[in-house]
Amino acid sequence: MYILPLGLYVTLFKDDIMHKLSVSLLGRDCPGVVAVVSTLFEKAHCDVMQVSQTILSGEFAAIFIVTAPNELAPQQLATLLEEALKNASMDFSVIVRTAVEGYWGSDKVCQPFVVTAHGPNRSGLIAPLSRIFARHNVNIESLKAILNEEDLDQALFVYEIMVPEMLDLGRLRRELTAEGQQLSLRVSVQHRDIFEAVHRVLPV
Amino acid sequence: MLSEREVISTLNMLRNEHLDVRTVTLGVSLFDCVSHDLDLFTANIKAKIHRYAADLVRVCNDIGDKYGIPVVNKRISVSPIAVVGAPFDADGMVRICKALDEAAKEARVDFLGGFSALVEKGFTSGDRALIEALPEALASTDRICSSINVASSRSGINMDAVALMGEQIRKTAQATAAHDGIGCAKLVVFANIPQDVPFMAGAYLGVGEPDVVINVGVSGPGVVKKAIDRALSQTGRQLTLLDVAEVIKRTAFKVTRVGEMIGKEVASRLNIPFGVADLSLAPTPAVGDSVGEIFQSMGLSSIGAPGTTAVLAMLNDAVKKGGAFASSSVGGLSGAFIPVSEDSSIEAAATAGLLSLEKLEAMTSVCSVGLDMIAIPGDTPAATISGIIADEMAIGMINNKTTAVRLIPVPGKNVGDTVSFGGLLGKAGIMPVPQGDATAFITLGGRIPAPIHSLKN
Repeated sequence: MYILPLGLYVTLFKDDIMHKLSVSLLGRDCPGVVAVVSTLFEKAHCDVMQVSQTILSGEFAAIFIVTAPNELAPQQLATLLEEALKNASMDFSVIVRTAVEGYWGSDKVCQPFVVTAHGPNRSGLIAPLSRIFARHNVNIESLKAILNEEDLDQALFVYEIMVPEMLDLGRLRRELTAEGQQLSLRVSVQHRDIFEAVHRVLPV
Repeated sequence: MLSEREVISTLNMLRNEHLDVRTVTLGVSLFDCVSHDLDLFTANIKAKIHRYAADLVRVCNDIGDKYGIPVVNKRISVSPIAVVGAPFDADGMVRICKALDEAAKEARVDFLGGFSALVEKGFTSGDRALIEALPEALASTDRICSSINVASSRSGINMDAVALMGEQIRKTAQATAAHDGIGCAKLVVFANIPQDVPFMAGAYLGVGEPDVVINVGVSGPGVVKKAIDRALSQTGRQLTLLDVAEVIKRTAFKVTRVGEMIGKEVASRLNIPFGVADLSLAPTPAVGDSVGEIFQSMGLSSIGAPGTTAVLAMLNDAVKKGGAFASSSVGGLSGAFIPVSEDSSIEAAATAGLLSLEKLEAMTSVCSVGLDMIAIPGDTPAATISGIIADEMAIGMINNKTTAVRLIPVPGKNVGDTVSFGGLLGKAGIMPVPQGDATAFITLGGRIPAPIHSLKN
């Protein structure tokens, strides 16, 4: 019999009985949502590995990556969460899926760029630029629409994208600029580092 | 993820506040090009400049595109020609100057600086040849800049050189009379010239510098002005000058980070060491890119009004404090520039009679660099020009700082006339010069001894 180091034994054992799930929630924001959800995770022996939450126009959205016991199926966990939220008078949609290892771009060398598009606000401004990104296999990691508080007719869209290094950046820029002109949008494409250099004192 | 404020603030700096990198300057040492044979020497110079500068403009443009920050000027600085070309006479110096001009054009840079001599304590034959060659050299070339260091805090003021430069400035103006004496816009007289200035016309590569080096000059008067305006209008409370100094400091930090980042990336792509970021607030004639407008934002009716020197002192110091934190490689001149023709607001104040040469001289005691881009009557006597230079050199020498004089005696023009140099050099009204005669003083020659370096008061 082989004697394994304790840490490795625990890891093997744990992998054997746990699986990774992604849990997403969407509903009206109010105090106590995270408390209800995290209490249920604790009761169900789920361990939260990563979490991200945001609030937009009073809507709360969150994604949790958790490790759960193998016997706890995704749909079971979803039902438990829905009931717990309902009991707390919170109206939420819950989706639980088996989390997939790895992520887009992990096998590619990419550079982070920020694309901004600024101009008169109207419907249909996001799709044309997004289609260009998709055509070039450029991934959007964050998209924000910012309305000008003083002039609601003006909108600023900020795309944070990952651009594969092999991509012809000049061509992407030309296509975005041309599309922007058709939509009366002023488009800029800048490496993300410049925004950080200007505004942040980075940790040493 | 970036915050809304980070994105919007950066976009505003670029689109509305004229944020750019004013210059990336490639320093090239010419010591290893030296030869007794003029043809061989000029061939060596051109080959070496080509070797290192061939990709400079393309790389600067690529990196400017990548970050969305334009690199407005790409320039070259070289070892002082009076030193590396010491064996040659004035005719030889003119030929060297033309070879440098050809090299600059081949590299597609805006200017090449370093047609320079360091004569604060005395002349070598090379120094004399170069100074003698100045009028023809600057008239027969387009992109060459010259700087002559005539004073330092350690050596005093070489008054023979001051006298000579008064004459040569007049002759250079005459030699370029067809273009309103523009040769003088490429000729600057210094005290305590730094070895690593990236800005023209003072850029040259000092003898203690590396073989090749990238220095960068940031910009940002428009960014500083808008930041002050925003702070004054948006905060709900009355701001004090302490608050304004803090705003300037933070803004200088941002501007410097941009310059340093782009300079370092250019250096890395060209496989050349990065030298310094020069923090100087460098204006352009464009409205909204002016140092002079900052004075109005801070409550003066115009630059030149009482309080101007105090505002400039604070501005200059706050810029240095913010910039010094943003970059560990700060050098060059690093202060606020007040070039009259290149700054629309300063020019307007001077033309309206709100800003005199005397007030500008007072201002130069608290900022870099000096009496800069000032058009004066074409018939100004050489001794008067020399007297103005001597006064300015004295300020630099005593205060252990860089000062300089770039005067343009515009041939055929007098007070009330205006002159346009075009492009970044801008336009200016002819300013009156102080009355009185300095001829006998200038004729004395010799050297004003170096000052005592203790008993400071």
